[in-house]
Amino acid sequence: MKVVGITTQQEVYVGSKDRNFRINEFLIIMDEVQGDLMGEVVEANTYNRYIPLNINGDLVDSSVLESLRAIGYNIDEDTIYIAKVRLINEAQYPVETGSDVRVPKFHEVKDFMVKANKEEGLVLGLIRNTDQMVDDMDEELKNILYTFEDDKLEPQRGIPYILDLKSMHQYPHIGVFGGSGSGKSFGLRVVLEELMKLNIPTIVLDPHFEMDFSEMQEYLPDDEKEDFIGKFKCLQVGYDVGVKFEDLSPQDLKNLLDASSTLTDAMNNVVDILYKRKDSYQSFHDRLKMLSEAQEEGSQEKIKKRIEEATTTSETEAWKKRKELYDSYDKTCPYSSVKGIFWRLKKLYNEGIFSNDIHEIEEGLKLGKLIVVQGSTRMLQVFSTYLLNNLYHKRRDFKDALYKHTTSEYFPPFFIVTDEAHNFAPKGYECPSKAVLKEISQEGRKYGVFLILATQRPTLLEETITAQLNTKFIFRTVRSSDIQTIREETDIKEEEARRLPYLKSGDVFISSATMGRTIYVRIRASKTRSPHTLNPFDELKKYSKEEEEKFYRIIKDKLPINECQFLSILGEVEKEYGETITMDQLKEKMEKLVVSEKIEKVATPFGDMYK
Amino acid sequence: MYGLSEELKEKVIRLNSNLCNKYNELLKMDIGEIKDYIDENIGEIVEIEKMNSAEIEKYLKNGGIIGVDGSKNRIGGAYPHYLEIYQGLAKSSIYDNSPIYKADFYTPLYTEEESELIERLNGNEEAIKNYKLAGIEVDVALEGVKKYNPYAIMMDGSLIRYDIECFEKWIELRRECENRGVVLIGVIKDIKTSIIGENLAKDKILHTAENLYDRELLYGLLKYGEMIKIKDAVAKKPKEGFTSIFMRSSNAPSVIGMDILDTQREHIEEMARLVFTLTPENSRGVPLWLDIVDSEVKISDKMMRSILQTYLDREILEKLFISERDKRTL
Repeated sequence: MKVVGITTQQEVYVGSKDRNFRINEFLIIMDEVQGDLMGEVVEANTYNRYIPLNINGDLVDSSVLESLRAIGYNIDEDTIYIAKVRLINEAQYPVETGSDVRVPKFHEVKDFMVKANKEEGLVLGLIRNTDQMVDDMDEELKNILYTFEDDKLEPQRGIPYILDLKSMHQYPHIGVFGGSGSGKSFGLRVVLEELMKLNIPTIVLDPHFEMDFSEMQEYLPDDEKEDFIGKFKCLQVGYDVGVKFEDLSPQDLKNLLDASSTLTDAMNNVVDILYKRKDSYQSFHDRLKMLSEAQEEGSQEKIKKRIEEATTTSETEAWKKRKELYDSYDKTCPYSSVKGIFWRLKKLYNEGIFSNDIHEIEEGLKLGKLIVVQGSTRMLQVFSTYLLNNLYHKRRDFKDALYKHTTSEYFPPFFIVTDEAHNFAPKGYECPSKAVLKEISQEGRKYGVFLILATQRPTLLEETITAQLNTKFIFRTVRSSDIQTIREETDIKEEEARRLPYLKSGDVFISSATMGRTIYVRIRASKTRSPHTLNPFDELKKYSKEEEEKFYRIIKDKLPINECQFLSILGEVEKEYGETITMDQLKEKMEKLVVSEKIEKVATPFGDMYK
Repeated sequence: MYGLSEELKEKVIRLNSNLCNKYNELLKMDIGEIKDYIDENIGEIVEIEKMNSAEIEKYLKNGGIIGVDGSKNRIGGAYPHYLEIYQGLAKSSIYDNSPIYKADFYTPLYTEEESELIERLNGNEEAIKNYKLAGIEVDVALEGVKKYNPYAIMMDGSLIRYDIECFEKWIELRRECENRGVVLIGVIKDIKTSIIGENLAKDKILHTAENLYDRELLYGLLKYGEMIKIKDAVAKKPKEGFTSIFMRSSNAPSVIGMDILDTQREHIEEMARLVFTLTPENSRGVPLWLDIVDSEVKISDKMMRSILQTYLDREILEKLFISERDKRTL
């Protein structure tokens, strides 16, 4: 291998007659003047001047090539390999053309590749094309992960990529970008497994109900299996966790209502006026209800009339109360806004938001657990606003108290992880959860609150937040607008951007401020699996087969059955089957069994007979 | 700039009609008739077949085939301010046998080392230059023979050229090949003989044929894979010790020629078949092996310029070898 052609201080071409190059592999250029220079292959080409088989304008046919091979000359052997190599550190002078080039030893690249040890960092995968440096790699870096390639589990062959957790303090927040099927959710899973391994308090917003870590991957050898049960907890919004109404500040309440459906200024005003400290859901609800009922009457006279016409004392009392409310609030709270707040509140209530509290989440975080909050995207939008504000301020208060030498309850630093982050912090329009995420992205570093935001559409993510993501995982991306965004937001180079649409699932470019350059990584095999891995078409097949089996078991003992007996056995079948079946359905099911050759259909003088 | 002078146009039109008249008789002749005449009087027309891979592998086992070619390039203007560079290459078909390159140069500005040569060739510029190129090709061939002991040597161009242009060296190569039993052939892309025309005129069949070249007569005449084994009686080469054939080796209508030492004439058909096998069907008719050697030995203008610019002092280069023409840009 030698440096060929015109060189610069940043880039050189390396040519070889017998060794092919791979993208992202490291090479050392032995410059006679400047000493060893480290470079990375950014483009690899092969070239054979006799193929495309046009020699002096003649098209060469394969029989002649075959004959040439027979007399000992293989045209392929004239292939040369050319790599474009970018120097890791700019050289002082352009590299000497003709310098020899060699493959580095592990200790020479260690500083570029390994920034943390496996006990303190996240072991996320393998740095691609580093297999030739494995031999003299430190023992503690060997055999710490498996990769999954072409449907096969492969032992570790290469330098592991370990994300330095401590550097997050300086370079906070992680972005995970990539189209569907690019390995994004899978990458996120591996990150979460590592966070659990290190007992880092983490909160995961999971709109897909997929971040469950109880199922282990069967492919791992037994001694490598790791049980995460006890390290994570799945909690559903509205069932396991919710908002404690009594703890809400007026702003929290407004955020919640706003998340449910956008509030007008007048509605905001209504909340400010009508919501009292220490209100319970019921008291606030009643106040709204009574005021709106009074407003429906239309005037003080009409309400007075109601009081006079009341037949029972309780009714009189009730209308008196309504009148009181009407007198004090009608001027400041227009009817339509009161009504708007009322049905928004009702909607939240019906969804179960107010049915519980976030105590379990707080306790979990304090124990260093991974808390998965599940719910529909909309529910999570509503709930996360409250939740994140709450948790973030708890942590903030604790840190601020330390600074001010006062006391406050301990609250640990934690990670916030979410998929489909563009739903929580969209670009272009306001959304309550965005405000808190923005605040955390800008100030979270100081308080030890970190974001891991995954999205298919980085273009749709709020720019202020994107700008704060210091480490970015970029999986396969096809949309040109997203590639453009990625190019603007990362140190990814032209050559890498061009490769983005062709990355294999699970291959990722990691652009990290600590590394100072983009690293090409294969995400390691995960230890747990998503509950959604069954192919929907397999599932469909399985389901219909099960149904058929079930029906066959019931009908088997009753064979042979004549068509005219259908009515008499229908009741019995229904009972055993556990579902209502009509005559037509019964006949259809029987026909299906005939088609799958489980039973036989014979024509008799008394109609069809099934046996 | 694109204005065409009236006179030039007239002259070209007249040339066209003159050429038409000259070749009229030939063009009117029946192809079958000419072929019959050739078959009887010049040499037997035979059809040859390509070799199969088993046959070809024999060459691999017996030392492979060496292709030899030379190239020259020139910088500068008129005498004596020019420099010619020559390069010869012998490349074995066996990949592990590294290619043999030799280089030489000639410039009238520095002949001190060449006095013996100049004396021998009576100071004939052209002869000296031809000697240099042909000599270098024979040199690499000879080294190839000694080093790799190949089955055959395939020279680019007629063998007679070496006989004429560098006789002593040629005889040495010839002896070496004969002694070792290395088959020596020359493949001629552009045949320049006029054997058939002369015979046609002599036999009074086509009295204008005397000035016709074989290349014109044979154009489109032979079928793909046909070859003419020229009788020694009609060829002029036997006295120098060669035997030749003509052959149509590709779909292109032109024919190529091949020379072989007359002492090795029993190999002529075999070598013709080898050449035929190594020639792509849709090509100009040159064996691919020679094309590969040619492309590797070629001194391109760019290479020439960069070598001289790198290794000659700027002053020497400018003063001696950059002609006014080279600086013209319009």
